[in-house]
Amino acid sequence: MLTYILKRFVQLVPVLFGITLACFFLLRALPGDPATLLLGARGGAEEIAAMKQRLGLDLPLWRQYLLFLHDILSGSLGRSVVYGQPVISLVLERLPATLWLVAYSTVIAVVLTIPLALWSAVKRDRAPDILVKLVFTVLLAIPSFWLGLVLVVILAIWVPLFPTSGYGAGLFSRLHHLTLPAFVIALATASLTIRSLRSGILNVLGSDYVTTARAKGNATGRTMRVHVLPNALISSISVLGAHTSWVIGGTVVIETVFALPGLGSLFVESIFARDYPMIQGLTIVFAVLVVLINLATDIAYALADPRIRLD
Amino acid sequence: MTTFRSMVSAAALALSILGPALTVAPSNAFAQGVLKLAQTQDLVSLDPIATSDNPSIHAQLLIYDTLLRPSTDASKLEPGLAESWTVSGDGLTYSFKLRAAKFSDGTPVTAADVAFSLKRAGSDASSWKRFFAGIDAIETPDDRTVVLKLKTVFTPLLNNLALFSSAILPQKAFEAAPDKFFEKPIGSGPFTVAAWNKGQALSLKKNAHYWQAGKPSLDGAEIMVLPEGNSRTLKLQAGEIDAALEIPLNQMQSLGRAGTVKTAVANVLRTDFVLLNTKKKPFDDVRVRQALNYAIDKEGLVKALLYGAGKVANSPMPLMAYADPDLKPYAHDIAKAKALLKEAGYGDGFKTSLLVHSGRPLHRQVGQALQSALAQIGVTAEIRLVEGGTHWSTTKAGDYEMAVSYASSDTIDPDQMAGFLIVNPERANAYHTEWKNERVNELYAKERATKDGPERGAMFREMVKLSHEGAPSIFLFYPGTPYAYRSNVSGFEVLPTGNFRLEDVKMK
Repeated sequence: MLTYILKRFVQLVPVLFGITLACFFLLRALPGDPATLLLGARGGAEEIAAMKQRLGLDLPLWRQYLLFLHDILSGSLGRSVVYGQPVISLVLERLPATLWLVAYSTVIAVVLTIPLALWSAVKRDRAPDILVKLVFTVLLAIPSFWLGLVLVVILAIWVPLFPTSGYGAGLFSRLHHLTLPAFVIALATASLTIRSLRSGILNVLGSDYVTTARAKGNATGRTMRVHVLPNALISSISVLGAHTSWVIGGTVVIETVFALPGLGSLFVESIFARDYPMIQGLTIVFAVLVVLINLATDIAYALADPRIRLD
Repeated sequence: MTTFRSMVSAAALALSILGPALTVAPSNAFAQGVLKLAQTQDLVSLDPIATSDNPSIHAQLLIYDTLLRPSTDASKLEPGLAESWTVSGDGLTYSFKLRAAKFSDGTPVTAADVAFSLKRAGSDASSWKRFFAGIDAIETPDDRTVVLKLKTVFTPLLNNLALFSSAILPQKAFEAAPDKFFEKPIGSGPFTVAAWNKGQALSLKKNAHYWQAGKPSLDGAEIMVLPEGNSRTLKLQAGEIDAALEIPLNQMQSLGRAGTVKTAVANVLRTDFVLLNTKKKPFDDVRVRQALNYAIDKEGLVKALLYGAGKVANSPMPLMAYADPDLKPYAHDIAKAKALLKEAGYGDGFKTSLLVHSGRPLHRQVGQALQSALAQIGVTAEIRLVEGGTHWSTTKAGDYEMAVSYASSDTIDPDQMAGFLIVNPERANAYHTEWKNERVNELYAKERATKDGPERGAMFREMVKLSHEGAPSIFLFYPGTPYAYRSNVSGFEVLPTGNFRLEDVKMK
């Protein structure tokens, strides 16, 4: 397993190199530059030129690119134009909120998915199945910012169970603050995973070994736990993994509605400001996180299905 | 069992990643007398010579003092760190007498600190060097006296000394650690930084050494980032925050109705307009530009889009000092607009494009309204929604036809806005419209060398009138800035310059 993990990290190197190239040159193709935008209405040509020089934006592109590679290798990821601080320290300030949100929403999604998918599959085409399908199709169609606001009005204003927004400090307060946003993300994730797990279970239920297990006199609960679920989980794990990767950078709407200091909003703000080092650094961080999630997904496969070997 | 094992390992993995996040961050959320104020964006830096965004500027004005500052009604400059000042008869020597003030670390504010700060603000490292260009030498005859010497008369100087970039910093503390200073800066303003959790909140605590005795009455302030308008109003209603800036206009009435929240509209020095690229046809023709001004029902826009919280604009210049009360806005007159277009050879109208900043809800609405209004005079405007950075760069590069935009002033003197909005060549070439009027340029140079008074006022009035007639943009309105606070808060006010002072705020 360790060799496998190491190998995956070695494979990461060319991927990251490609990402640095694409990210660096695509960014320069956007209209606007950080100096012009940072100075805005208050800046004149002289100030803009002076700032460009200070930021090294007057250097030839290839030299700027080499400096960017140097910043990655030195671990600082460069210095944010807007904040004037090393990108890595800004990322580390925002990373916890994103990781909390990703982890918490994934846990909620899993907790929702397994029983609901089982229920839905067992009661196929009957009322529970139709109800679960209907509710989660509707939830998938609702924009998350709207769902978030509605939940805030109901669960934070009318019945004040949760804070309207914010991040909290300390374990309990943080979980309390993050419940609503994590729930909104989890509902979106669950609408995908419930469907895939339900059809996975239905496939497995029809297979010979399940019939054999039942014929041997296994109780329904044990058949489900030992024979059906592990085999049905594989496809849902990949759906969950893919969706979690998306959540890493895609929570900006949730972060905005709930005023959470996550990476998503930092990324969007940086793009608006053309904060080149920040965008480049964040892209690298996102790439690493996505690779880590994929790795975790692969490990989860192996754990769920002993036939899968990681080497 | 396999499922169980995989879940346990997943949880273990999650915990190992989250480990560092479990440490408890300090919070003064429950402290008494701490005003929790929500704004839309986080600040960027507390270095006054390196920033240009409003949240940074507004925070800096709470932490640092300037020699002078605008009065709350924007009518005059009042003493700040300088308790008095004189300007010599020839306008070339400015003397400031400092009051006995202390920085938040207890050290006295000296003339050397002032000289150091103003030199730094006028140095090459400063983004705002231009504001201090007129200063030739700074002298400090004693600890409490600062003398600025100029080579030529430069009337806007006093106003520039009231700007954020003229903040007075403690020389010794700064020089001891120039790289770290702005993480927890020291100033002589009413508040000082307790903590800054980026993306969340700037926590301020009262400066015990503040020179205004007995102020501030607050123990501190928590300036929080809540980007979403609905989140701000919801939190205000729930009592989780005490005040909020930029309340969505359509929620002002319902917010005020409950009785626990008070709403107000600040008359900020701001104009919203549609820039016209006078380098491109047909906008090179003044008749076309005037026709567009006649074609828009601006009164209607104020009612429908601003819910009445604003006034119709008569020029690109905000409504500020020396404004001419007799200069009337363009009337809504479709017949006149059509006649002017016909005269200019566009009797059948024309096709054009309208650039709109996608991140500004008000301007998106303006875009829609303009599109249908212009259709009435045969002008087909295609709306191009672009993100802010692209909007700015495209207009700056002159690669547009019409663009919805606005300008707001940091100072109460019209010089800064005139230089930006109607003078060409200057730093923005009449705010990217490339409109050029030699008489305006001449008056601009003259007003800067003329002492404040009726004569200088007449120059500004003539400049504004010329810009009204030349119509480099479609002048829309002077919008108010809506804000709200809980009814237990008193003394909270957004000032015409857009910032807020908190030293007079009290909480019951």
